[in-house]
Amino acid sequence: MRLSRLRAVTIAATLTAIALLGGAAHVLRHSTVQAQTSPSSQLSVYSPQTFYTIPLLNLNGQPYVGLVELLEPLGNVDARPEGKKYKLKFTPPGAHELEFQFQDGKDNGKVKGDKIKLPAMFAIQSGRGYVPLSSVSELLSRALSTQIRLSPTARRLFIGNVGERLTLDLRKGTPSKLFVSFDSAVNPTIATEPGHIRFTFRREPVIATVERENYTDPLITGASFSEHDGVAELDVMGTAPLMANFADGGKTIIVTATPPPPPPPPVAEVPVPQTNVVPPVAAPPKAPAGPRFLVLIDPAHGGTEIGSAISPTLPEKDVVLALARKVQHELANRGISAGLLRNSDIAITLDQRAISGNAARPAIYLALHAANSGKGVHVFTALLPVEAVTSRDFLPWETAQTAYLDLSGSVAGSVTAELEARKLPNATLAAPLRPMNNIAAPAIAIEIASPSGDVNDIASPAYLDQVAQSIAAGIAAVRRNIPEVRP
Amino acid sequence: MTRPVLLMFAILLLIAAGLGFYAYHLKVKVASDEQRLAQQSQVVVPPASGPTTLVTLYVASDQDGGLRRSQVNVPFPQERSERARAVLRSLLTTYLQPDSQHPIGAGSDVRDVFLLGSDTAVVDTNLAFADSHPSGVLAEELTIASMVTTLNANDPQITRVKILVDGKERDTLAGHADLRRFYLASGIGQTLKDMP
Repeated sequence: MRLSRLRAVTIAATLTAIALLGGAAHVLRHSTVQAQTSPSSQLSVYSPQTFYTIPLLNLNGQPYVGLVELLEPLGNVDARPEGKKYKLKFTPPGAHELEFQFQDGKDNGKVKGDKIKLPAMFAIQSGRGYVPLSSVSELLSRALSTQIRLSPTARRLFIGNVGERLTLDLRKGTPSKLFVSFDSAVNPTIATEPGHIRFTFRREPVIATVERENYTDPLITGASFSEHDGVAELDVMGTAPLMANFADGGKTIIVTATPPPPPPPPVAEVPVPQTNVVPPVAAPPKAPAGPRFLVLIDPAHGGTEIGSAISPTLPEKDVVLALARKVQHELANRGISAGLLRNSDIAITLDQRAISGNAARPAIYLALHAANSGKGVHVFTALLPVEAVTSRDFLPWETAQTAYLDLSGSVAGSVTAELEARKLPNATLAAPLRPMNNIAAPAIAIEIASPSGDVNDIASPAYLDQVAQSIAAGIAAVRRNIPEVRP
Repeated sequence: MTRPVLLMFAILLLIAAGLGFYAYHLKVKVASDEQRLAQQSQVVVPPASGPTTLVTLYVASDQDGGLRRSQVNVPFPQERSERARAVLRSLLTTYLQPDSQHPIGAGSDVRDVFLLGSDTAVVDTNLAFADSHPSGVLAEELTIASMVTTLNANDPQITRVKILVDGKERDTLAGHADLRRFYLASGIGQTLKDMP
């Protein structure tokens, strides 16, 4: 009897231990799945005003989208997580403010006061709110009251009546030519391999009515259209190497056979080589591109490199990206085209920023930063290193900015004057800040701090709007003194 | 449920509670040790020996965005590089005070100052100086400018300064200010110092 009781106790203890261990393992496994969020791919968003990409997070096997990242390029956003609750105020341009309400771990919420059920749980990660990708279409259609088309597998989202329709027209001849036409100019990435020429459209909302065309032609045998990973791809197949020419101002791409290489010159008597004689190399005919005035905006940091922690839930990288989009919008309102060096939460090294910045050949380079100390807006020009090497053949990497310092100073002065006009505290300084030194164009950096001393005010939409308007107005005022650049 | 089973559950609960209490005790102990170490490392005091001298510090202020000149008495070693180190440690001490206008990370210190020729100083800071330095263009520039300007004010022969972290070159101080270059005393601090 005693033995059986002991056996029962032992069994009970073992079972309890197993139950405790099992419970602990379950809790650990659950928390591990929650914590192991990693970027899996990105969503391309096309709207009538802008194009942008958003990194997708894989939470518990499902792709999720950050609400702030999704809505910020489309209007003013004010997001505040309160414990497990998440409230986001969104104001589209020219429309009234509306509110999103969700709760971490719950699949129901509210948009504009109306209940909404998500296909999976809402999630808060590091103070950011995430919704399942498959819910984005309904959320946006309620928020923007417009037509939304989402292709979850292709990772492409179309807002409103955007869409670049692609048509194919094969004209047989010697050689045959495939005319690929669009409503407006396109700029795809082109790759060739034997029997294929592929066009990848990343920024253009290209769509096609048919997925595949087969031709009975000796040269061009077919074309297929596909969408994946946020891009559209057109693959033209042929029996010989193919090449592409652009026509109609970039609205038409003509695919045809690559001309055969010219026959080698007849081998004659080898002349005695003459020193110091270089045969002239004929440059391929190229349509000259006109000079243009482009402002390149470089929102600092990104990805794992968060920059300054403005608050525990607000990193510098988010503040500057929001400001960059506002500056781009304000410049567009003044008829100035502007590009963003990063338009999503990705990490870029300082050298990569300098390389991309110079390759874009901007008229003005503008770096944006934010700080959790100090007050107001600081406008910086480059403080160049001591060792300024001069060379007639090469532009020294560390001091590429030297020749542009005067123009950079003019831009800084103009922006400062606009800040002053809006009564925003400001100062102009020279700073040892990379990659400004490496930029071969007029370049300034702007660091915003709180206007009042309270760090929470730094991301207020009204403050960011004022700063963005000052920057854009300053650039517009000095535009006629800055030379346009041929791309 | 029989009495022995209940007893076993109670014992398991007691063990769990005991382990929880022990873990909490360890956590508190580790936290207090860390705090004590941080407090110890905050005390960056120049060497106590030797005669004291009045030195000039250019002290940064985040709110004003500039450098303010001040003078303090510090023990002043005979050797030139030791003097440079003592001046810089005195400057960092002001930044480590609770009421600092330009706070830097706890434990920040200058490990060594090496003089190359007569005009160049290489300042070797510790890891805490860079790893815990507040991130920001102005905040980082103010720190560098105050160090360079202070060195030059107390030893006018020092006109070029390079800053290392833990004996190595580093890209930036805390994500912004370039640490790969030499700084000229006539360059970096001039627009910032002698503010009203």
